[in-house]
Amino acid sequence: MKTTQTIFEDGGHKWTAIVRDPAKPEFLIDTNEYLVQHGGQGLLLDPGGSEIFPAVFSALSSEFDPSKIAGIFASHQDPDIVSSLALWLEFNPQMKCHVSWLWGSFIPHFGGKGDTFVPLPDEGAVIPLAGLQLQAIPAHYLHSSGNLHLYDRQARILFSGDVGAALLPAEKQGLFVEDFSSHIRFAEGFHRRWMGSNEAKRQWCERVSHLEIDMLCPQHGAIYQGADVQRFINWFDELHVGVLRS
Amino acid sequence: MTAEENTSEWQGGDEAFVPVATESSSGAALDLLRIVRINEEIKRVVSVAFKINIMALNAIFLAKRAGNAALGFGVLSNELRVFSKDLREGMMALTRQIHDLVAEVSVILQESRYDRVFAEAALAAPDHAQLHTVLERREARHGERADRIASLRRGLRLAIDDAARLVELGGVLAKSAKIEAAYGAGFASSLGQVSGEFDGIVEEIRSSLDSLRRSGFFGGSA
Ligand SMILES: [Fe+2]
Ligand SMILES: [Fe+2]
Repeated sequence: MKTTQTIFEDGGHKWTAIVRDPAKPEFLIDTNEYLVQHGGQGLLLDPGGSEIFPAVFSALSSEFDPSKIAGIFASHQDPDIVSSLALWLEFNPQMKCHVSWLWGSFIPHFGGKGDTFVPLPDEGAVIPLAGLQLQAIPAHYLHSSGNLHLYDRQARILFSGDVGAALLPAEKQGLFVEDFSSHIRFAEGFHRRWMGSNEAKRQWCERVSHLEIDMLCPQHGAIYQGADVQRFINWFDELHVGVLRS
Repeated sequence: MTAEENTSEWQGGDEAFVPVATESSSGAALDLLRIVRINEEIKRVVSVAFKINIMALNAIFLAKRAGNAALGFGVLSNELRVFSKDLREGMMALTRQIHDLVAEVSVILQESRYDRVFAEAALAAPDHAQLHTVLERREARHGERADRIASLRRGLRLAIDDAARLVELGGVLAKSAKIEAAYGAGFASSLGQVSGEFDGIVEEIRSSLDSLRRSGFFGGSA
């Protein structure tokens, strides 16, 4: 089973990371899911693949009522991101899935009906959650051609999907990055190979540099916090991506 | 396994609502395989029926050339053409039923994967009331789907039986054509050859339909 860890809390405003499942079979990539709670409602960020649904569900439902999940934010269309959609919809068929307009007719292959999807425009959009204004930030071509991240200005948290992802070895399973230079070695190959556009990467680095970010939360690996956030952005800005081999 | 058995079932008391994945997915996979085989057999019958149509057309010309001596043969050839057309139409209706069945069975296959995932979720969170509700709702949907499949299965079997009756008629026509060929005077041997081929082909269709009726999909051994 996965564990939940509160990474931000301010009254009814809360971020929970759902991470690390020792029982997960090795052939499945490890993923982090995040739940944003505000005013008794929840937004689930990149809920994960259907195979890991039991682990995510049991961890999440231990501290939140799954029928109160008002929506899912899918950073992009990958199976490890959102193939569990149909399973979550069983708990609240009215639940919305916020995703790039580009994938609006692709993701229904995972589940949902026409009115399940809220297409996000390329320039991003505000996603309201019981009065909290969350901001979908463009991250196209990083790695998916229709890709968005989610910024919570109040919590100063940026959920960054596959950007910042690291494929960590078994002995480095901490939730937060502890030593940037040793951590980033596990991120380098991934970013070179998966991120497709140097131009898009440049624009993203520029865009997020203007945001106040205490925590940068990727869908794989560990969370960057404090000075490591800017360290990561600088590192990514320098990295040459879109190459088969490093 | 019948469609009615193609559902998962509950095990344990009210407090332990752990659904047990039965053979629903392997049963559905086997059904799908059998349906695919049935469909291949239907395609074979359609192509053979089309052959009868062409042969009957040639036989009609041959009878015309034979003149008065082959009047009866000509009439029978015409009837065989009509038979070929009816058979192909019957087979097309079967193909539509097959399509509906594939759609339903595919949903079972897809759902059975989710059933397994939900079963694991129920093990991980055994006392979750909402999960219980979701599982019950899914169970009810499975029941409805199993009913639809059972009715499609019966419909398909009836349609195959209808086709088999039609083929009996085709067999009688082919046998009669054989007898008529004997009166074909100078054309007797070529008419005899054609009617022999008719007979052979109708036999081929009959054996195809027999194997369809024996399919494991209808509880048979094939
Ligand atoms: Fe991805
Ligand atoms: Fe990913």
